[in-house]
Amino acid sequence: MLSLWLPRLATDRIARSREDAARPDGRGLVTYGKRGNLDVLTAVDEAAARRGLSVGLALAQARAMHPALEAVSEDPQADADLLEHIADWGLRYTPLTACDAPDGLLLDITGCAHLYGGEDALIADLSARIDAAGFSASIAVAGTIGAAFAAARFGRAGIHANGSERALLSALPLSALRLDAEIAASLARVGLKRVADILDLPRAPLTARFGSGLLRQFDRALGREHEPLNPRLPVAPYVAEQRFAEPIAREENVLAITGRLAARLARALERRGDGARRLELTLFRTDGELRRIATGISRPSRDPAAIRALFTERLAALADALDPGFGFDMARLSVLVAEPCAPEQIGIGNEDGEAELARLVDRLSARLGGQRVRKLIAQDSHLPEITAASVPAQAAGTDDGWTAFRRHRVEAELSPRPLRLLARPEPIEALAEVPDGPPLRFRWRRALHEVIAADGPERIEGAWWSGHGGPARDYFRVEDRSGLRFWLFRAGLYREALRDDAPPAPAPGWFMHGMFA
Amino acid sequence: MLDDLRQRMRALERPATLEGSVAVLPLGVSEVDAALGGGLARGALHEIAAVSEAHLPAATGFVAGVAKQSLCSALCRAMDGRDKPGHDGGKAIVWLAEDMGAAESGALYGPGVDGCGIPPERLFTVSVAHRRDLLWALEEALRCCSVSVVIGEIRAGALDGVAVRRLSLAAADSGSLALLLRAAPPEDASAAATRWIVGAASSRGEDPHFTARLVRNRRGPLGSWILTWSDDDGFAAHAQPLAAPLGDRPHRAVA
Repeated sequence: MLSLWLPRLATDRIARSREDAARPDGRGLVTYGKRGNLDVLTAVDEAAARRGLSVGLALAQARAMHPALEAVSEDPQADADLLEHIADWGLRYTPLTACDAPDGLLLDITGCAHLYGGEDALIADLSARIDAAGFSASIAVAGTIGAAFAAARFGRAGIHANGSERALLSALPLSALRLDAEIAASLARVGLKRVADILDLPRAPLTARFGSGLLRQFDRALGREHEPLNPRLPVAPYVAEQRFAEPIAREENVLAITGRLAARLARALERRGDGARRLELTLFRTDGELRRIATGISRPSRDPAAIRALFTERLAALADALDPGFGFDMARLSVLVAEPCAPEQIGIGNEDGEAELARLVDRLSARLGGQRVRKLIAQDSHLPEITAASVPAQAAGTDDGWTAFRRHRVEAELSPRPLRLLARPEPIEALAEVPDGPPLRFRWRRALHEVIAADGPERIEGAWWSGHGGPARDYFRVEDRSGLRFWLFRAGLYREALRDDAPPAPAPGWFMHGMFA
Repeated sequence: MLDDLRQRMRALERPATLEGSVAVLPLGVSEVDAALGGGLARGALHEIAAVSEAHLPAATGFVAGVAKQSLCSALCRAMDGRDKPGHDGGKAIVWLAEDMGAAESGALYGPGVDGCGIPPERLFTVSVAHRRDLLWALEEALRCCSVSVVIGEIRAGALDGVAVRRLSLAAADSGSLALLLRAAPPEDASAAATRWIVGAASSRGEDPHFTARLVRNRRGPLGSWILTWSDDDGFAAHAQPLAAPLGDRPHRAVA
């Protein structure tokens, strides 16, 4: 477990955002925020710390001590965003990164260090890059989260072997155990200040007095109890990555690399009989930015050529061009969702029609967006606007409900339905026979239509149990003088509106809902 | 040497669709099919425009009817054993529309589509934001051999002749039927095989009637008919044609 502590995150963020000329010139830079009624310092940079300023000092006092001090209001949200950004950047070392708010990161480098040639080399690489980015950092590696945390923050940066947690912690103050402020204060009151003080105390009285939190933190730091890392991003089941000696910038190169990574993934997928449903390509820019590009596949697949073709479409469809800056120095292709996929012979022309169709859907979805390529499904509802819906074709299941709908249509002898349905019924002005007759003429979108033939009514009740769909509707199929055929309805009944004893109900309204061929 | 090159050129060139036998899709109305030379040519692009925007649903119905004929004829062929069973009947229909289309004239409604005999299971709808996306997606869908009919719905504005030509070639490559559904009669010259102007006609509560004017036909005379559509029997001619079929002369826009 690697803990990265950025003690001067807030001031480093401000300094980084400025032009070189405006960098703090040794006058000291601090941030301040309100704590209670007082403006206090929340972060100090190195120059300010050298002058004896520390976090928690009142701003007025600090200003009195150093009139030239530069003070900036704190921005916790920006700090948190920056921390998440750094955590994402940390993905280049391991897929398991977590924010350790407010100013630290945790990286689970188990099994990843050898890629850099050992933990030493990894730390060296990490600290060089963090330093170049303008952050002061302290990095520690230890067997547990608690130990790494304590080592990074209490001056024991470096690598601590597994099993040395006890020796490492015993010299540190109790606050290194990540205790609640309350527990730490009450421990201090009874004279327990260092971890060594409680190491050999009997556990039962400690728990009785200070609660179970103290010993849990203690056990976790010593590795007696497992502490799970809460990673920022789900860990992909399959990952392939490639580092480049020289940064690459051209789109063709990115695609070529994608194809090569996909081929590597295909072997891993095949061993477990899986196919990818959702893939993400992560490109690490040399300046620390990342680019994430995801795409979906409607049938589990592991064909490298198909995967590469999808990313070709995605790159072509990017609204802003793939901005490589000074180039990408690493690429990673992860399978976010994998599903079992029957073994098949890929790449030889024995494709069936369904596979061909799925490929078309994928290509269209990759270029236009998955939400734009849809299939129609039937749903079990009598409300016309809910009966039919559309779902993204890539996500559509096998049962689309049309068989059930056809059976229902025959059984219920449904009258014909329009070919086109408006997104929502549009109000029209209609002149109709009271109470139940079809409209004689109506005005829709400012055009007057004279009805010459009408069929109906077909009553469709709203969902009275949920209030959905509103009052009962009487649908009519009408044809106007020029032969246009409409599906319109009256919401509500005149009869109820005219009844004397009825509660005042809104007058029935007429709506246009669809058009027949 | 020169002859050899010429021959190779000829081999490279596509067989001209005007001559020779092409696969056709009969509409089932003898007068119309006669004018079309057997039916709508497969592997070609056909434009169907509404008389005005209000008549777009009627034009939609006409297009849906053509698509249904295409599915049916595939099933018949499969039953006759002339084709692999389920070869075409299992193929998909792709319906592309611009975003504005759905907002203005409504989106395709599944039960209605099912009602005209097109199984909605085989239908994919694609909505696009830009005209160029529409043309790209049309071409992609046409090049896919599991798609039998591709329908592109276009609101207004002229179409690039080059784009239409590209689509025609893509359709010819795969042999699928490309239909452009336009909300208003286009002004531009057409590179399509046929152009229709379709409107609703008074049906007095019976099966829907259409006025169908064939204003461009690369393979035969033009004409104007009143057609009826029934969900069971497909297209049929109304008893009285509007006018006798016109002689074989090109449309003025392309003359």
